[in-house]
Amino acid sequence: MAQDEYDILFKVVLIGDSGVGKSNLLTRFTRNEFNLESQSTIGVEFATRTIQVEGKTVKAQIWDTAGQERYRAITAAYYRGAAGAMLVYDIASQSSYEHVSRWLKELRDHADANIAVMLVGNKSDLKHLREVPTEQARSFAAEHNLSFIETSALDASNVDQAFITVLNELYEIYKVKQLEQGDSAGPRPGDGTTISFTPTAGDDKKKSSNCC
Amino acid sequence: MKSRPSAHRSRSSKSAASDGSASKFAITDWENDDWSANIDEEEPDSRRIRSIENIPQPAALSRVHSSTSSIAPSKSPHSRDCSVDSRAQNDAQLNAEIEEINARLARITKFKSILRQPVIDLAALRKLAWAGIPDELRPQAWKLLLGYLPKNSNRREETLRRKRQDYLDGLETVFSRPLDQVMWHQISIDVPRTNPHIPLYTHHTTQKALERILYLWAVRHPASGYVQGINDLVTPFFQVFLSEYIDADDITDYDPKSLAKNDLNAIEADCYWCLTKLLDGIQDNYIQAQPGIQRQVAELRDLTKRIDSTLAAHLEHENVEFIQFSFRWMNCLLMRELSIDNIIRMWDTYMAEEPLGFSRFHVFVCAALLVKFSSELQQMDFQDIMIFLQSIPTGDWDEKNVELLLSEAYMWQTLFKDSSAHLKDNE
Repeated sequence: MAQDEYDILFKVVLIGDSGVGKSNLLTRFTRNEFNLESQSTIGVEFATRTIQVEGKTVKAQIWDTAGQERYRAITAAYYRGAAGAMLVYDIASQSSYEHVSRWLKELRDHADANIAVMLVGNKSDLKHLREVPTEQARSFAAEHNLSFIETSALDASNVDQAFITVLNELYEIYKVKQLEQGDSAGPRPGDGTTISFTPTAGDDKKKSSNCC
Repeated sequence: MKSRPSAHRSRSSKSAASDGSASKFAITDWENDDWSANIDEEEPDSRRIRSIENIPQPAALSRVHSSTSSIAPSKSPHSRDCSVDSRAQNDAQLNAEIEEINARLARITKFKSILRQPVIDLAALRKLAWAGIPDELRPQAWKLLLGYLPKNSNRREETLRRKRQDYLDGLETVFSRPLDQVMWHQISIDVPRTNPHIPLYTHHTTQKALERILYLWAVRHPASGYVQGINDLVTPFFQVFLSEYIDADDITDYDPKSLAKNDLNAIEADCYWCLTKLLDGIQDNYIQAQPGIQRQVAELRDLTKRIDSTLAAHLEHENVEFIQFSFRWMNCLLMRELSIDNIIRMWDTYMAEEPLGFSRFHVFVCAALLVKFSSELQQMDFQDIMIFLQSIPTGDWDEKNVELLLSEAYMWQTLFKDSSAHLKDNE
């Protein structure tokens, strides 16, 4: 269950169309579980997992959201404070991929400007049903400055790797940020608000109530 | 060894299966297996057993078993050297069980006397239904309480015939047109994800029925259309109305493929119309931006401040926002938090609280649920609170727990009805 001690806490949101497998990505990563017929997510569900990055204990606080259009007004509230987002589509569903730009707009409108986004093509096990070519998604991701991976929550391939890549990326940004802040001689102008990291880093590992 | 009376057997297994606990009622267990000999030696006990068996209306009695809350049979009879103490204990327990059965039979009689009237006294029915409706009378009582069945008995048959035909006509119309692809897609991916842990809902016939009900409702209510969670709300109706047509040991295991087509049509139509009645009262929950839910979440927050200011302060201190955990409570009417049997019992009371049972009273129920776990929550930080509240430990809840929750909600409602406006003024 929940580990109490960590050095850094990152909030990551899972977004994307209904039925693309967001909840199963979450349970695969946090509990190594997969459930073919799990109930749809209503509102938000939350789980955590802690990993080690360069000797630091990094805790991922992952918020799984409901995919249906009607919930957008509500789920936007959950983006606040998120350092990372995993935008999930289903490789066997062209429409879920077509909606990716709509989801990116959601993030632009409601999330922090510097949020790190990974495009995730899930259900890679459904090879015979593939509708979205890998290369097409990869170049879309590159164009929009997103990282990209294909995963299968069902057979677990690339799931850990996806989350760990995002967390590593967030950690790198965090380090840069720390350096900038530590360098009190010259905070760069125009670099005011940045990614919302939890302020719990430090020598004393302590329990923090929430991320930013 | 005595044989088990079949009428007794029919429903007792249902409750055992539905909540995973031991058989709810002891009669069959008393006569069961190796320790029955001990009981036979006990003259007073066996006399009582016979006297229970002699109660008329065995069908009614069997239903009573299913809704009798967990009076688990004493564990002690399993040991051969039954002590005097445990015999006395068994004696007292059996007495309590008999009293409970008699009380329930008396309730059934009261319900029947109301339901038999040519024009139903709805106020009297509501009053009685508040404390729970016996399983066998629930289908009829729900249809009356929701205003689907007319209270005038000589109009009922015609109304039912007309409504059921209208449902079939409606299906024919909407399915002869091109489907609304977005809506249909959402429904067709949500139906297999509806109560997937209950076998009844994994069967093809059930899933097709739910698809038709939901799609027709969605097309006819374009202001909201189908919204995730509405699929959950059909299921209590489906189970309750199905129970009118079958005599299965355990309805949750039943495969409706063997139902006659006419019966299935009737069940579907009744579900459709009752779902419509229910949703008519809470449409604000599902239209754009879901203002009904936003309002209820705000009411829950205000109420919690009134009822348990320490907990409210702790939640605030931990940066827990009510929308984060209670959105689903409102959107799915706690159906993700409680078992479907618990929900069915809860809806007896919600319908008795009409017209605001599913909206205003529901918020009081949510408040009662939240403060029930106040002491645990106050020991937790943000993360533990969130994880705790998204899987509230109600897995072992039976009817008694639900009834306690409902009476607590009633108490809060009596104390704070119409007071949230004052509260806001004072802030």
